[in-house]
Amino acid sequence: MNITPEALFEARRHFLKLGAGALVSSTAISQLLAELPKDLSLSFTPDANLLKLSSNTFEQITNYVNFYEFSTDKTAPVKLSQNMKTTPWNVNFSGELKTKQTLEVDDLIARFGLEERIYRFRCVEGWSMVVPWIGFPLYKLLDYLDPTSKAKYVKFTTRHDPAMFPDQAKGIFSSINYPYVEGLRMDEARHPLTFIAVGMYGKRLLPQNGAPIRLVVPWKYGFKSIKSLDKIECVENEPLNTWQVQNPKEYGFYANVNPAVDHPRWTQAKERLLGKITKQETLPFNGYEKEVAGLYAGMDLRKFF
Amino acid sequence: MKAFLILLALLPLVVAYYTLDNAIDPIKMIYNTTGIGAILLLLLSLVPSTCKRVCGLNWLRYRKTIGLLAFAYALLHVSVFVILDSEFDFVTIFEKSLKKPFIYVGAIAFVILLLMALTSFKKLFAKFSKYHKAVYLALALALLHSFWAQKVAGVFEYSVVTVGVVLLGERVWVWRKG
Repeated sequence: MNITPEALFEARRHFLKLGAGALVSSTAISQLLAELPKDLSLSFTPDANLLKLSSNTFEQITNYVNFYEFSTDKTAPVKLSQNMKTTPWNVNFSGELKTKQTLEVDDLIARFGLEERIYRFRCVEGWSMVVPWIGFPLYKLLDYLDPTSKAKYVKFTTRHDPAMFPDQAKGIFSSINYPYVEGLRMDEARHPLTFIAVGMYGKRLLPQNGAPIRLVVPWKYGFKSIKSLDKIECVENEPLNTWQVQNPKEYGFYANVNPAVDHPRWTQAKERLLGKITKQETLPFNGYEKEVAGLYAGMDLRKFF
Repeated sequence: MKAFLILLALLPLVVAYYTLDNAIDPIKMIYNTTGIGAILLLLLSLVPSTCKRVCGLNWLRYRKTIGLLAFAYALLHVSVFVILDSEFDFVTIFEKSLKKPFIYVGAIAFVILLLMALTSFKKLFAKFSKYHKAVYLALALALLHSFWAQKVAGVFEYSVVTVGVVLLGERVWVWRKG
């Protein structure tokens, strides 16, 4: 028996309404277009998945997160984040740019288009997963923003809004310093693997996964992949990232996944792939060595960890 | 009553066993269940003698059972480290563990509990009971271990430290009063 998937059923209804709307007026059409279900609005080029990675389930990825702005617990942010208002969401672009401006996430999607990237994701705590992200490479955005010759680094900042993020409202009792800041060297930021995600598994990002827009740097530990972006700045000097401020002995600026360099508390040689009770070897640069090792030629990765 | 206490204390393990299949990070889940279980039981093992001093209730007959249950949880916790986390790779276990304070602090706490469990039976206990005050040290080390194991200590870690400080503080207070 053929059952029309719910999404398609909804889409057909929408199409019929659009036809009816066309008879009335063009404002009616644009109104209906604006109401188009969110999930359907994500059309993207699927990843060819040359590495043949099998993704973790949607349920696993959306129920096991680090999002300290909500809680240090892995599952608590799921409940705590459901009232987060992620539309409209403006991202501010400033610093050493020829075109300083503020853009809404939907504008960015319309401008750069969407593609899928199935990436390994490795947390410094020793767990890992495989995520089918949807978004666009950061270099497309940087090309558009047109940094000046002074721009050597890109600095990313998460939204600071204590009304939205309970841990930010705790002031001096908060678990870490806010707003959360991350940074990349310009050549890392412009690398084709560096990705701005707005969705996952064909849907828009859920709040706990860093909605509505986040960074994904697959060869670095997860904490570099900053969530819920508020600001992107091109800057002259290396930004001080949050975890480096928090504990400089344990977290550096680069945070490249490196099985040969141990974290002072957690062994990095192996990892727990979510859902598995056995462990697997961690790969240098999280399996992206061929693509990114050249960025660090001549650098002592024990010193620049 | 003792049997009820044992069944109650082992309940979390039954739950862990049946939720293992659906756990997102199964190794971490058993680590947490056994680690939190060991610490809570260790704290609880200090309660009977405090209770006797503070409110006259004599629960001392449960103290050994609670202590042994705490040891059982600690043993499972260490087993997760050796079997699931390190997959019996003893070279790595020793090399890496010696470099990581939070692991050897936990290991020292476990050795103390092991010695106490071995000397908890009648004959030996008569001889070794005076050394069983080492449980205070084991508790302090276990609390430090749980604190260090987190990327950032949270509400649970601060709460158990508070309870630990109250229970140990009461002993210091009694001891100083003479």
